[in-house]
Amino acid sequence: MNETLSIRANIMKVINIDKEKWASGVESLTSTYRLFGPVKEDDSHNFKELKKGELPDLAYGNSKLSPKSAVFPPSEAMFTYSLDEKNENHHILNDVKKDYSPRAVLGIRPCDAKAVSLVRMNFDTKEYRDPYWMDAFEATTFVGLACDNPCSTCFCTSTGCGPFSEEGLDVLLVENGNAYIAKALTAKGEKLMDAAGFKTAGDDSAIAAKKAAAEAKITASIETDKLSEKVIMDLYDAPIWDDISFSCINCCTCTYACPTCWCFDIQDENKGLSGVRMRNWDSCMTPLFTMHGSGHNPRSQKKQRVRQRFMHKLKYFLDKYQKGIMCVGCGRCVQQCPVNIDIRTVSKKMNDYVAAS
Amino acid sequence: MGVEPGRLQFSWISSAESTKFVDVVKQVTESVKELGPNEKFIKKTVKVS
Amino acid sequence: MDAYITKIKEISERLLKDGTVEAVIGFRQGTVPTMSEPCMIKRSDDVKDLVWDSNCRINLCNYLTNRKEKLAIVAKGCDSRNIVTHIIENKIKRDQLFIIGVPCKGMNDKNTGELQDNCGTCTHRNPVIYDELVGDLVEEQTDVDKYADVKKVEALSSDEKWNFFNDLYSSCTRCHACRNACPLCYCPTCFVDESKPQWVGKADDAVDIRTYHFLRAYHCAGRCTDCGSCEAACPQNIKVRQMTKKLEKDCSELYGWEAGLTLDERPPLDTFKVDDREDFIK
Repeated sequence: MNETLSIRANIMKVINIDKEKWASGVESLTSTYRLFGPVKEDDSHNFKELKKGELPDLAYGNSKLSPKSAVFPPSEAMFTYSLDEKNENHHILNDVKKDYSPRAVLGIRPCDAKAVSLVRMNFDTKEYRDPYWMDAFEATTFVGLACDNPCSTCFCTSTGCGPFSEEGLDVLLVENGNAYIAKALTAKGEKLMDAAGFKTAGDDSAIAAKKAAAEAKITASIETDKLSEKVIMDLYDAPIWDDISFSCINCCTCTYACPTCWCFDIQDENKGLSGVRMRNWDSCMTPLFTMHGSGHNPRSQKKQRVRQRFMHKLKYFLDKYQKGIMCVGCGRCVQQCPVNIDIRTVSKKMNDYVAAS
Repeated sequence: MGVEPGRLQFSWISSAESTKFVDVVKQVTESVKELGPNEKFIKKTVKVS
Repeated sequence: MDAYITKIKEISERLLKDGTVEAVIGFRQGTVPTMSEPCMIKRSDDVKDLVWDSNCRINLCNYLTNRKEKLAIVAKGCDSRNIVTHIIENKIKRDQLFIIGVPCKGMNDKNTGELQDNCGTCTHRNPVIYDELVGDLVEEQTDVDKYADVKKVEALSSDEKWNFFNDLYSSCTRCHACRNACPLCYCPTCFVDESKPQWVGKADDAVDIRTYHFLRAYHCAGRCTDCGSCEAACPQNIKVRQMTKKLEKDCSELYGWEAGLTLDERPPLDTFKVDDREDFIK
């Protein structure tokens, strides 16, 4: 990954995209790329594969669900199988044919792009490479859209990210009056700009002021500075969890909305003698998540599950990778939690906790 | 909920009423056959990413 | 509201100090403007955290299930009706509870800030069971059409109904917030979570999603108080009450039943009466 980062540092091309040319540029991309982008549905936006002629609706604050589904769909077929002995390939798992032709996510927010790079740490390790996630990831060009108007629940500036963060992006678009200033940050990004016919050299001098203005609008923050020095078991045994978890109803809202939640469950679905092996989003909030075949459940209590979610995001991940917390500050869980459990409050409680000696 | 009327039927049959049971089953089978296959409850295959 | 809050704090402090209860279940200030958070207060010093406002949508009865200790609970009209149902269904004992009744003029919709749908047609704004009230009883609404939207759906053809519910649930992610926010849904293992054997598929399939919503609604038939906790909890803003309300309407029309009004009668679907309607049975 370090290699990728250093390549990124070297390539940087600034392009000016006239908004009038945006639609035709996106149109020319459709011959080479499958496009994903924010689409307005009822009162909110979500990332969807764009239909032919459909443009991403870039006038959005934060999508309801994160764009993680572009590389990590809620349900994804992995294998098919048949138990019918008349069938040539019976009793064998056959790979499902996938479409890993180039795809592009248009208008992803910088926080969500950073989340993709955090998730990659899990799916691309020395020992294992998750073929589905990685193949989809490698096929994807991430075209980001800087946030000029962050939401009131955004706290990305205190998670090592920010409304103009470039981490995980191939292109960063910055809205500038009638144009977008596009920073092509990687070779992938440059290629996409070329394919769209966006070639007019631009000037990025306006970005710094816009960035500062956007960052200044973010007033919420998360306190994490003392988390790394805490002892895991002190936090684990801390008396804070009863109160934190009391209101939790153990739905999966936070985990499904979260751009950094990557857990999945593998399921076989049969019909007669044939079936599909697939993986679906899973959530540490449900008792089923940790249910053993024996019937024993090591996390049978709500408190254990809530603690797991926050300890994973704010402590285990931090200690394991030394790259900050597993949260980019998109604020979706804060906005959508039915009972207002707020990761910022929880983090503060963990951060402030001092074990009695 | 959008299931066609006729696809769901209730009958009260005592364990002693074997002939009624046969009649009802025949009748239900016929009326459901008339409606044809229930396409609505067929699951789609899982999406490929 | 301020008077309510003062009273809630006063009663809670007294109950905790004199040992009548071990804890008080209520709401505390949320971290975003449209939310209040359910909480459990155990020390009399902490009663200062308790609040009451138009964001106390979640039905607190949900937090009573199978509790063994003596508790006080802040309950608006619908919460109190669910407490009645809980007592009938042996999920909590009446003598374990000190019910702090809150006469309620309705909660605000978390998105629009306007009165929630169900509150607009609520006819039981006052708690039906309580030990102490935090204010004077409010006037009950009488001239409301509770089922206007249900009637619209009933008038559709079967194909149209099918499509209506398909659209309704199309954005469902199966986070199960509606189920988990519902005080009626206390099964130790919900049928959708049953894994040995598994009853319902786990993929994002429209048939499985619909199966979940319909079965859940039917399971709550005759018990649902239309408290709106499900809809308030839904992160996708799905109008899940479109289905539950139909069953509420049926129970009202078929059995003259409204859930949670009395401790003396069990819900119609778990009792038998000789004059129960049976014209749907051939």
